[in-house]
Amino acid sequence: MDPSTTAPRSGLLGLFDNPYDEEGFRTCSVTGLNIHRSVENYVKLFGLTAVVALLVGGIAAIFVAMTRWELVSLTSAPDFYNWLSVHAWNLLIFWMVFMEIGILYVGGPMVLGRKLPTPSLAKTGWIVMLGSAVWINVELFTTSAPDSAPLLTSYAPLPSSAGFYLGTIVFILGTIIAALPFLISIWQEKTEHPNRSLPLVSFGAFITAIVALEALIGGLITYVPTYLWRIGIVEHIDAAWYRQMYWIIGHGSQQINLLAMITVWYFLTHVVGGAEVVSEKVSRTAFILYLFFINMGAAHHLMADPALATVWKEWNTSYAVYGAVIASMIHAFAIPAGLEAGRRKRGQGKGLFSWLMSAPWKDPVFSSVIFGIILFGFLGGITGVIMGQMQLNLTWHNTFATVGHFHATVVLGTTITFMGLVYFVIRLLFRRKLFLKPLAQLQPYFYAGTMSLTTLMMLYLGILYGIPRRHPSVTDIPGTEFDFAAAEPLFWVFGVAAILAITGGALFILVAVGSLLFGEPTDPSSLVPAVEPVEDDDTSLHAQSVRGTFTLTLVFLAVFVVTYVLNWYLLSRLWHIG
Amino acid sequence: MSSPLKPQTDNWWDVPVHWDEKVWIGISVFWALVLFGWMTAWGSIGNQTQEGPTYQVSPNAFQTKIDSFKARAEETDRGFRPAGSDVYIAGMRYGFDGLPVVLKAGKEYDFHLSSYDVQHGFGVRPNDALSKQMTLQLLPGYEWVLPMTFDEPGTYHVVCNEFCGVGHRTMHAKFIVEK
Ligand code: HEM
Ligand SMILES: [Cu+2]
Ligand SMILES: [Cu+2]
Repeated sequence: MDPSTTAPRSGLLGLFDNPYDEEGFRTCSVTGLNIHRSVENYVKLFGLTAVVALLVGGIAAIFVAMTRWELVSLTSAPDFYNWLSVHAWNLLIFWMVFMEIGILYVGGPMVLGRKLPTPSLAKTGWIVMLGSAVWINVELFTTSAPDSAPLLTSYAPLPSSAGFYLGTIVFILGTIIAALPFLISIWQEKTEHPNRSLPLVSFGAFITAIVALEALIGGLITYVPTYLWRIGIVEHIDAAWYRQMYWIIGHGSQQINLLAMITVWYFLTHVVGGAEVVSEKVSRTAFILYLFFINMGAAHHLMADPALATVWKEWNTSYAVYGAVIASMIHAFAIPAGLEAGRRKRGQGKGLFSWLMSAPWKDPVFSSVIFGIILFGFLGGITGVIMGQMQLNLTWHNTFATVGHFHATVVLGTTITFMGLVYFVIRLLFRRKLFLKPLAQLQPYFYAGTMSLTTLMMLYLGILYGIPRRHPSVTDIPGTEFDFAAAEPLFWVFGVAAILAITGGALFILVAVGSLLFGEPTDPSSLVPAVEPVEDDDTSLHAQSVRGTFTLTLVFLAVFVVTYVLNWYLLSRLWHIG
Repeated sequence: MSSPLKPQTDNWWDVPVHWDEKVWIGISVFWALVLFGWMTAWGSIGNQTQEGPTYQVSPNAFQTKIDSFKARAEETDRGFRPAGSDVYIAGMRYGFDGLPVVLKAGKEYDFHLSSYDVQHGFGVRPNDALSKQMTLQLLPGYEWVLPMTFDEPGTYHVVCNEFCGVGHRTMHAKFIVEK
């Protein structure tokens, strides 16, 4: 250990004392970024909080999955719904949103080499978010009749506890407060340097923040009236109104996950894989497309609803298809192409795929990110577009396949990517060696593999057997002779895969927490090769082939087409509807 | 090529785009048009498009409609045989008012769907072919009129698949399609 580069451990396990210069800056030996103490400390704080939420939600996953595997039937119906709510809120909301605030601080002030403006707002935001997250958890665990467990959606007029709605409002406000320092840093940057464009990562983070604000305002529009209705000040709440408003935040928050994840992909493929941006124009335009079009993607939650005209449904889904799906397909090309061209330029691969084979697959940051990209596209993206087609939605709506779709997006895509980001933060910001390194190297493979199997089983159970979601028992249903027992073999595979996947998640927590407690402090350049600077040489662009990426995206397209056709075939076997 | 971590000072807009990337964007736009075109076309060439008028209706008013539907129907030990071609179904915690019904195969019925209390789901499948299934949303305050024709005789099972409270999983019903 070199004492000049590693600080001695002091208070708080030494987690917050890196060596800084007099003004509180340090230069990262891997990325070359000029990092200020204020930024770094809040990124660490939000990241650590997120991991705690992941733990709570992961524990809930045991109860949820082992109830749905009816061989185990772990909990009763009311407990199942409480656990399902805890699972959804801690994972989809708290794990993701705390990570995303951290990502904004990375994408803004850290990449721009600035101090965190108004750290007091970051602190206030963190306290409000944490307090309301704890409060919401208490409400979820203690829900009892006549209130219903809210699950993720708290569909009015089914009432949840008043504290739940209020806690949610407070959480939304806390998140807005915590996002402000990021927005201020962008504003400061643009006033100081009006004539230079933000780095792509900052630009992505900025678009993420705008989409996030739209979603959060939608959340206030939804939850404030719903709270007033719950405490009796407003008399009536309309179910169709609630659904349409709710999905502004319900789907909007998924767009935050998507945009934050893509921003992290550009960031980490560059830092650990040597990726470069092949076209600033194309990648930035794709982000702009999201800004204008992705909101309408929320309409795909309302495809099986009354009260909305067919034209409205078709326009919004097609509009979303035009704008947002194209944007995603562009990133799906641009990110691997950046990796391919960047690595080829550095002489790391001549053949069609040798740039990929020679990549640092033993680095859990790299493998997590690549699995996130591939699985998000192949499983999450394709299923999302399919179930977003108006008529196909009939066969997906509220089945277990829906659950399969969003585990493909938010777990196989976002969660795996964010796990990679946490590994990165442990090494580059906490400056620790990973604890139990072989286990850390294995974890992304194990988790991605077993969680993919779990997700595929969810998809098959929903599409091939019509298994409904949110049912604690389907092979033995109280009050009817009918049952779904034919699906039992698939539930076996699902159950075993889920246990393994939860184990994979636990391994992540073990490595992450273990590294902070026991990982040896070290200078990160001894762990990750420093990023070589990119020369601004635009002729080099065409010198590098991206044929490997092109081949991969064609494979993706072929899978897309085949799955699409199969789904229409399944639909066409139904009776006449409409 | 450039670094995603560096501010851009040159004119990145005018940097030419790689040929392969252009082709991929072209493919993406084309594929998006196919997706949209096929979905819209299915409304005329396909048999499954959930299109039908919606009316606002209070739960009480809808209950009156269900009562008169039942009164006009022939009551058999397998369920109500509708007098005309209208079928009225309401979700309620935890059952479906109006079901079971006995329908004729090949005849078009107008399904009037609503709810008395909270949101419910109307998930339908033949008992012996679980993969042939679909779901519609039932909302209190709205009556959705959707024509459906069942060609294959048999028992069709109805599952509520919108969470409606702790008894959600017990909310089942059926209807029968006869030759
Ligand atoms: C090993 C990991 C996991 C397993 C085994 C698992 C399993 C499940 C199962 C079985 C359900 C319930 C399905 C139902 O009855 O409707 C569910 C629901 C859900 N899960 Fe997971 N899950 C895991 C991780 C995650 C993660 C990481 C996230 C988010 C980032 C997540 C988000 C959700 C959401 C939002 C729901 C829906 C709740 C609702 O219906 O309102 N899950 N999960
Ligand atoms: Cu119900
Ligand atoms: Cu229900």
